[in-house]
Amino acid sequence: MVIGLLAVAIVFVPNPIALAASGDRHFRIEASSYQYTPEAIQVSPGDHVTIDLVATDVVHGLYIDGYDLSVTADPGQTATLSFIADRSGSFRLRCSVTCGAMHPFMIGKLNVGSNDLLWRAIGLSALAVVVGVWVIRK
Amino acid sequence: MKAERLALLLVVVLTIGVPLAAVVARSNPDAIAVRAQMADDGGWTPGDLAVAMGQPLHLRLTSDDVVHSFAVGHSAIPAVDVLPGQWTTTTLMFDQPGKYTFYCTRWCGPNHWRMRGTIEVTGDVTNTTPIIPPLYVTLNLDLDAPHPSEVVPSERPSATRGAALGLKIDRAWEAAESPAQLWQQLRSDASTKNLSDDQVWDLVALAWRSNTTPERLAEGQQLYAQNCAACHGETGKGDGVIAPTLQKTPMSGMSMSGHETVAPIAFTDAKSMLGASDAILEGKIVRGGMGTGMPYWGPIFTAEQIQVVVEYLWTFQFDR
Amino acid sequence: MTPIEITRNPIIKATLRNRWPQFVIRVIALAGFVLAIVAGFVGTPVGNHNFGIVFVWIVWWALLMLILVPLAGRSWCAVCPIPMPGEWLQNGALLKPRGKGFGLNRKWPKRFRNIWMQNIAFTLLALFSAVVLTQPSVTGVVLLLFLIIALVTSLIFERRAFCRYLCPVGGFIGLYSQVAPVEVRVKDPAVCAVHSEKSCYTGSQDGYGCPWLVYPGTLTKNINCGLCMECLRTCTQDNVALNLRSFGADLKQSSGHKLDEAFKAFIMLGAALTYSAVMLGPWGELKSAAYSIGTAEWLVYAVTLLGLIYVILPGAFLIAVGVGRTLARVLNPPQGSRESLKKSFAAFATALIPLGLMAWIAFSLSFVFASLSYVWPVLSDPLGAGWNLFGTAGVAWQPYLMSIVPFLQAGVLIGGLGWACVVARRIAAEQQTGRVVTWEALPVMGFCFVVTAGLLGLLIG
Repeated sequence: MVIGLLAVAIVFVPNPIALAASGDRHFRIEASSYQYTPEAIQVSPGDHVTIDLVATDVVHGLYIDGYDLSVTADPGQTATLSFIADRSGSFRLRCSVTCGAMHPFMIGKLNVGSNDLLWRAIGLSALAVVVGVWVIRK
Repeated sequence: MKAERLALLLVVVLTIGVPLAAVVARSNPDAIAVRAQMADDGGWTPGDLAVAMGQPLHLRLTSDDVVHSFAVGHSAIPAVDVLPGQWTTTTLMFDQPGKYTFYCTRWCGPNHWRMRGTIEVTGDVTNTTPIIPPLYVTLNLDLDAPHPSEVVPSERPSATRGAALGLKIDRAWEAAESPAQLWQQLRSDASTKNLSDDQVWDLVALAWRSNTTPERLAEGQQLYAQNCAACHGETGKGDGVIAPTLQKTPMSGMSMSGHETVAPIAFTDAKSMLGASDAILEGKIVRGGMGTGMPYWGPIFTAEQIQVVVEYLWTFQFDR
Repeated sequence: MTPIEITRNPIIKATLRNRWPQFVIRVIALAGFVLAIVAGFVGTPVGNHNFGIVFVWIVWWALLMLILVPLAGRSWCAVCPIPMPGEWLQNGALLKPRGKGFGLNRKWPKRFRNIWMQNIAFTLLALFSAVVLTQPSVTGVVLLLFLIIALVTSLIFERRAFCRYLCPVGGFIGLYSQVAPVEVRVKDPAVCAVHSEKSCYTGSQDGYGCPWLVYPGTLTKNINCGLCMECLRTCTQDNVALNLRSFGADLKQSSGHKLDEAFKAFIMLGAALTYSAVMLGPWGELKSAAYSIGTAEWLVYAVTLLGLIYVILPGAFLIAVGVGRTLARVLNPPQGSRESLKKSFAAFATALIPLGLMAWIAFSLSFVFASLSYVWPVLSDPLGAGWNLFGTAGVAWQPYLMSIVPFLQAGVLIGGLGWACVVARRIAAEQQTGRVVTWEALPVMGFCFVVTAGLLGLLIG
């Protein structure tokens, strides 16, 4: 019973950390095989985000999980992607243009606000240990 | 046993038949298959094609690694993307015999510009217009001699400011003359004696602008972005994304003239740029850098195309 | 939950006993296998447009890890094409036995009757995985090697010795099949006791003796049973059944915990952690290091992977087991002798089975759904030769379900952790009673929690 309430609390209690006010964020991301630099960018929910994709060796793309947006850049021709970060969490950036053997694993990260899913999952994991230990008796 | 026979038939048909059919059906006799790889790994295969004048040449193109693109120099045939694992087609037709160069038009690594091949077009010559050599050849200019300008403006010259001066100047922009030389001539002209040095530079900028049009500048910018910006930088500072790799040794197996690759020229460097004429710039683009890593564009771009690029290059020095 | 015998249904039983459905599926799988090898050698070197890469490392892997293993244990082994050519030669037949066979039929050497060879084989693949997963020609070579080694093994040794003792895939799906809700067991062991022919092991005119060298009469765990259904065909007493049962039933057994299986669990956990960082992380240098075989960077990657799998994880686990035992001994001094640390270690390692399976499912969810759309162009153009068999050659890459995958991953990892804790507690209860049970199991649960937190951080962080 207590466990159930705790689980609900972990899942649903809103994140008490105050969020920074939303504004305009501009990032320059360099893409090489097989790395984005910077490999992770952090914004606040509601930010108007502009990403300049700079390909440094071959043609690369950038696709954002969860937002389903993408852009392609040739070396020498910076491409721009603009969007409002209205979804919170951690989203993988994936290269959307075949750029060599390890292309499917060319991955970066967009962090919008705090990664609530991660913290709640870790909280629930701790709870799972408790459940496994005390609740289930065979 | 009937069941065993049937089972064996199934095995043979599926296990051997299907892959065999796949291998046999691969070839397509109508078109020549051309595979693209980054220059270091082989470039175009085959690298030499041949066709008779007036006959269609059907090509099927694929890439074995990254995104490439196929285009033919001195030809109006549009470029076609060559994509990894996928096939695109193009049909070429030539109305004049000769040796044409085909090349990659989407940057595929530091040696992208070396990704070239040739098409030998046979036939009788029908068009006998003489080939005009580039100006640097006619004028016997030394493209590699340094050309510093003695005078540089203290701020970016503006053609608009120059036009606002309201002067009538009878000297125009000339291909064999550098902006520095034009400035000297304008400076020593009586009608400019009341102007500051910078204002005379504005007149130089005006002369440049009068020699081109916004459409030509836009076309030049497009060509620059696709072909030059990767090394020379999107803002012309010589800081393009490929530039850092040019300090290293070139492709193994390529014999160089003894020169090492150097950093790409910064078109924003006033001292050096303002001492260069259109003829020198055109010459460098046509001839290339003799081992410095600067490609030779002569077989690729027409004189007209190179001309609009040169006109565009001045936007790194002058404001319109 | 008492097992439900699904072969009680006559249609199901008849279908399973009939050789044709299984045979047809196996031959199709074999054709796909051969096509993958061919595609590796003559197809495009671009992995995501090559049948070999897409259908082996995305489709087959997804099928295996997300559906077949968790829900049906070693069911892949029932339809696996790799041993087929060898089996045909051994049996002298494609279907029912015809009496004559071909091969030396030697017994598998005693000292290798464990899964250490499979552990080593999987480790080798793991060291070269970056290249294997992305280069069609390398996948082609690996698959061809599987086929050749299986064939040669079948000509020298008896039955499916390759499958039981050499196949790296079999190593982990055998381990994880203990979790699956499906099993083949005898209905009544007493019937077997008085049956002298043991046709389930020796074979009959209707079928072959268990190719997995298992005696069905005493089969209590899924780990070595390949669900091939031969015993269903050969048992003259109708005493073999295919049952539906609760998840993880085999983990409840208190005997037979072995060290080679424990290390398989560490190999799988270590590989899941490493791949989550190297393949799915944002650090390009790690990927380049894993790919550039033979360089100093790759050597560092290889040593790190080996260290994690064979030293760090087992070492930390050993400490956890030791600390737990010490805690238990302090709180409840034992009356008699306890089992050794080594036995405890192997026993507690069973908790890593559900943990590892869930870790692999979570890992696979990410890249499978990101890359599944490559199936469309590859179906129409398996060799990347420019065909368009079904009109889908131009379908663009599009990740699927990426918004919900992190939630699925979190759920799966948390579930795996809870399950691991339940198993750990049960293992501790084999030796202790009362509150001490919790204390003995707690450090192991802590280990599982740390691993889970690490995977959560790498996969959804």
